[in-house]
Amino acid sequence: MTRPSLPEGLRFLAPEEAAERAAAIDALRALYRSWGYARVEVPALERLEPDHPRASKAFKLVDVGGGVLALRSDFTPALARLVRAAYPAVAAGAERPLRLSYDGLVWHAIDPELARGREFTQVGIELVGVSSARADAELIHLARESVRALGLTPRVEVGNPAYVTALFDAAGVADGARASLADAIDRKDQSAVAALVAGHRLRGAAADAILAVPDLYGGPEVLDEALARAPTAAAGQALERLAGVLDEFEDMGDLMLDLGMARRLSYYTGVTFRAYTFDFGQPLLGGGRYDGSLLPRAAGFALGLGRVLAAVASAREQEGPAEGRGGHGTGGARRAGDDPLVASLDDPGARVLRAAGVRVVRAIAADPDAARAEAVTLGADFMLAPPGAGGSPAERLVALRDDVDPAAGERLRQVLAGARA
Amino acid sequence: MSEAAGRDAPWLVVALPKGRVLERSLAALRRAGAAVEVPEDPRALRYVGDGVSALVMRNADVPTYVDLGVADAGVVGYDVLLESGSRLYAPVDLGFGRCRVSLVRPRGATGPVRRVASKYPRMTTEYLRRIGSPAEVVALSGNVELACLSGLADAVVDVVETGATLAANDLEEVDVIALSSARFVVNRAALKLKSARLRPLIAALREGAER
Repeated sequence: MTRPSLPEGLRFLAPEEAAERAAAIDALRALYRSWGYARVEVPALERLEPDHPRASKAFKLVDVGGGVLALRSDFTPALARLVRAAYPAVAAGAERPLRLSYDGLVWHAIDPELARGREFTQVGIELVGVSSARADAELIHLARESVRALGLTPRVEVGNPAYVTALFDAAGVADGARASLADAIDRKDQSAVAALVAGHRLRGAAADAILAVPDLYGGPEVLDEALARAPTAAAGQALERLAGVLDEFEDMGDLMLDLGMARRLSYYTGVTFRAYTFDFGQPLLGGGRYDGSLLPRAAGFALGLGRVLAAVASAREQEGPAEGRGGHGTGGARRAGDDPLVASLDDPGARVLRAAGVRVVRAIAADPDAARAEAVTLGADFMLAPPGAGGSPAERLVALRDDVDPAAGERLRQVLAGARA
Repeated sequence: MSEAAGRDAPWLVVALPKGRVLERSLAALRRAGAAVEVPEDPRALRYVGDGVSALVMRNADVPTYVDLGVADAGVVGYDVLLESGSRLYAPVDLGFGRCRVSLVRPRGATGPVRRVASKYPRMTTEYLRRIGSPAEVVALSGNVELACLSGLADAVVDVVETGATLAANDLEEVDVIALSSARFVVNRAALKLKSARLRPLIAALREGAER
């Protein structure tokens, strides 16, 4: 038999990991639902569009008719398509808030290097049909809450690439020179920025602002610093928008500004943000405003679930196994009596327990001793012996291990007895 | 205190490349107030100082350690950083370890370039695409000049420092692809989460950088 193999960058999820992932998705769905976001679904297969922001990264397939399809590589353009189909008025520019959430897989056809896979679960939201500092702030707040909902401490960096664009306009940076300069700013590569500014013979207040922007990160004071030297009204407006977003927050403690956020996905046009957590070197989620590119007014964010769960696991390791941890995970050690598993040779009794929400597996072995051994192998907490063993169903329920919480057994017996009475 | 603990006074982990650049990297860090103790055992891979520790590794591994956040920051040649394709912050040009990455051919060669050997396959591929050359790229791990001399390739892309090696092998530098020097690189999350530590360090390193 050949060894089963997967394409590179893809993996199986065994039950524990799958359960942890499902619990995280449930927590996020509940959060977004409580803020009035409606969950939608979009197809995993799309028609390949060459101007799609990630067209070069998409897995491509040939359709039966010969057309080229792409596996979904980004939810945002897919949701924009859904909005155009289902809410044509909003897509045409009507101002009304439309709140959508999603979760699912995306695929990137990239070299599977640097511990990055090629199939990712993304969970996110889009707030469409409105554009204001208040709308930006709602998304940033929910980005923070998303990280908290998974038991981590968030740090969110906020920027506005429109500021760098305004500086380029003011300095008269040629179109062909913008990508490399934005890239150098985004990498905070001071010497490369200086070399490019000199090489393109940029001078004056706008050039000075370009030289300064890589280091403009930190608290609200960087806004004051930038505002003091904003060379044009457009640059000032980009900064005022950020100031407006910050004004929406009573507690700015875990927000940071970075005016040098310059190079993002092509569709972003306004305020953008990324969330990090302590002692984890990679961003957990990213998002921003894309007014005028995919839709007239829209912004959103996507959270990389694999990344976040890796951060949860590393935080757990650092806390140590004995310490209590924030209460979302389902994986790991079974909690006594919390969610008992019963193995049963009594089908009517099993039905009663299941109706009360208890997990019950049917023993496959018919012989009671063999069934008991089977139940132990499965890790079951209780065994419900067959009616032939005598006694009431409650009497026939026995704990399989010494460390099973007696209170859990008592609850199950009450369920069984209650149905009988 | 564990290295992970302490959000108020975070511990810094710095990835440093083995070899010639190591001494100068340690000196630059020391001048910037982030000195680490050099252990007596020359095989040691971890140097510890006050609130900072250094991991010593091959230069090509530095971007990986910093990108994945195992190290908060590092020192690496700009050539290696470009080749890695990592989008790390590179806020300081430390000024030492200067070299060029160049296209090199046997002296006087004028024929078409059909095959290029290099330790920098990514940079070479991008360079060839930029100049519109259809030549193929062969990735080698060292002594790239040999590829030219032995006829494996009709050009190589390699580091040129003084040009002495080229002259000794009757090779010449045809085109400069990139200028390199040692950069102080920083993990994107670390710069934001440990800015209280990293900002002053970056400022001090810029102050002390060799011009």
